[in-house]
Amino acid sequence: MKRLREFSYHEPESLEAAIGILAAGGDGARLLAGGTDLVVDMKTGRMRPSIVVNLKRIPGLSGIEAVEGGIRIGALTPVATLQASPLVGQMAAALADAAAVLATPPVRGLATIGGNIGRASPASDLGPPLIVHEAIATIEGPDGSREETVESLYVGPGATTLAVHDIITSIFVPTPAAGFGSAHLKIGARAGGTDIAMVGVSAGVTLGADGRIAAARIVLASVAPTPLRAIAAEQALAGREPSEEAVAAAAAAAAAACRPISDLRASASHRVALAGVLTARVLRSAIARAREASR
Amino acid sequence: MRLTATVNGRARTFEVEARSTLLEVIRESLLLTGAKEACGVGECGNCMVLLDGEPTPSCLVLAPDAEGREIVTVEGLAPEGALDEVQAAFLEAGAFQCGFCTPGMVITAGALLRDQPNAAAGEIKQALAGVLCRCGSYTKVMKAMEKLAGRGA
Repeated sequence: MKRLREFSYHEPESLEAAIGILAAGGDGARLLAGGTDLVVDMKTGRMRPSIVVNLKRIPGLSGIEAVEGGIRIGALTPVATLQASPLVGQMAAALADAAAVLATPPVRGLATIGGNIGRASPASDLGPPLIVHEAIATIEGPDGSREETVESLYVGPGATTLAVHDIITSIFVPTPAAGFGSAHLKIGARAGGTDIAMVGVSAGVTLGADGRIAAARIVLASVAPTPLRAIAAEQALAGREPSEEAVAAAAAAAAAACRPISDLRASASHRVALAGVLTARVLRSAIARAREASR
Repeated sequence: MRLTATVNGRARTFEVEARSTLLEVIRESLLLTGAKEACGVGECGNCMVLLDGEPTPSCLVLAPDAEGREIVTVEGLAPEGALDEVQAAFLEAGAFQCGFCTPGMVITAGALLRDQPNAAAGEIKQALAGVLCRCGSYTKVMKAMEKLAGRGA
C-alpha cells in the first residue's frame, strides 16, 4: 500500500480555528477538501505537508443557493453536485458542461470546486468556465473576508495569489446578461471526460438586440501555465454577426494565443491545432445557447 | 484516533491513524480484502466502496472522513453468501478474467442500477469509466449490464 507520511492532522469546526492553525503552521500546512489532488500528491511525495487541515467539519462550506444577482456555490461543493444542479445548468451552462467531463463519476463525488481552483492546475476543467462566467471567490484570511475574481487568482502551475492562511469559502457566479449563452468542451485521450485535458475551451457569447455579438469571453485550459483568456479572439467577435466567418477568425486568434508545452498527453503543436478546432466548436454551442436565451 | 462507522450494516469502532486511508482501514483493520489497491491514486477504481451509498475510491479518503458514515464493501453485497443480482449477472456473463477489478465493478454497477434501473449503454459506460480492467473484460461486463438494465438475453 502507498502509505502517507506522518503529519499533524486537524479538523477545525470553524473558519477562525482553521485560519489560526494555518497561520501558526506556516508553509508546511495544507488544506484538505476532496483529497483528489492532495492525497495523491502526498502519496507520490510531490507534497509533504507537516500539517493537514481538513475543512469538512466546518459548517456552511458546501451547497449551491440562489442569491441576489446570481448563485453562490460553497467551496466544498463536490463537482458531482455542480453537474447535477439545475441552478448551475440554468445560470452557468459552461460550468455544468465542464463538471460533467471532470475525471470519472467517483472522483467527481469527492473533488470540490474550491479545491479545483486552489490546486491551480493549468489543465483545470473548472477554471475556464468560472472565468467565462466572471465568477468571484470569497476568501477568508486572518484579516477577514475579501472578494477576488477567480481569474485574478491564477499565477502559474499549482500557484495562486492565495497565502497559506487563506481559505476560499465560496464562489459567486453572477446572473448572465440577457442574450448570453456559454459552453465548455474538452479533448482528452478518451471520450466523455475521464482524462486530463489536452485542451479545454470555455466560451460565453452575449447577443445584442440587433442579433450581433455584443461581447464574448473565451478561456482555454492546458495551453498555458494558467487558464488562458484569449482576448484577441474575444475582440475578433465583438460587434460582428455570429457567422461562421466570425467563429473562424476567433478560433484562429485563440490558437495563436496559446503557448503550450509538449508533454505525455500531447505535443505543443497538436495542442495549438486542437485549440482552434475546439474554440470553433464551443463558440457554435455558446452562440446556439445565446440564441435560445434571446428568444 | 477513534473512528466509528457502519460497515456492511454493523456499527464498528476502532483505532485509526489520521494518515490511514479508508482502504487501509478496510483491508488491514477490518480484514475485508475485497476492495483492492492497484493504482493507489484514484484512477483505477479497484478500491471502490459505497460511502453513504455513493461509489467512492477508498484509497483517496482519509480514515477520519469516514467518521459516522455508512460504508459498504463488496463483502456487504451478499452477507448471507447468496450473490446479489449484479454479482449473479456478472458470473453468468463471465464478466471478468482475473477478477481483481470485479469488486470495484460490481459496487459501481450496483449503485448505477439502483439509481437508473434501465441505464442506457452510454450511461453504463460513463458510470463504469472510473473502474479499469486490465484483462479487458469490458465487453462481457457490458453484456451483464445490458441484461441487468432489461435488454438482451
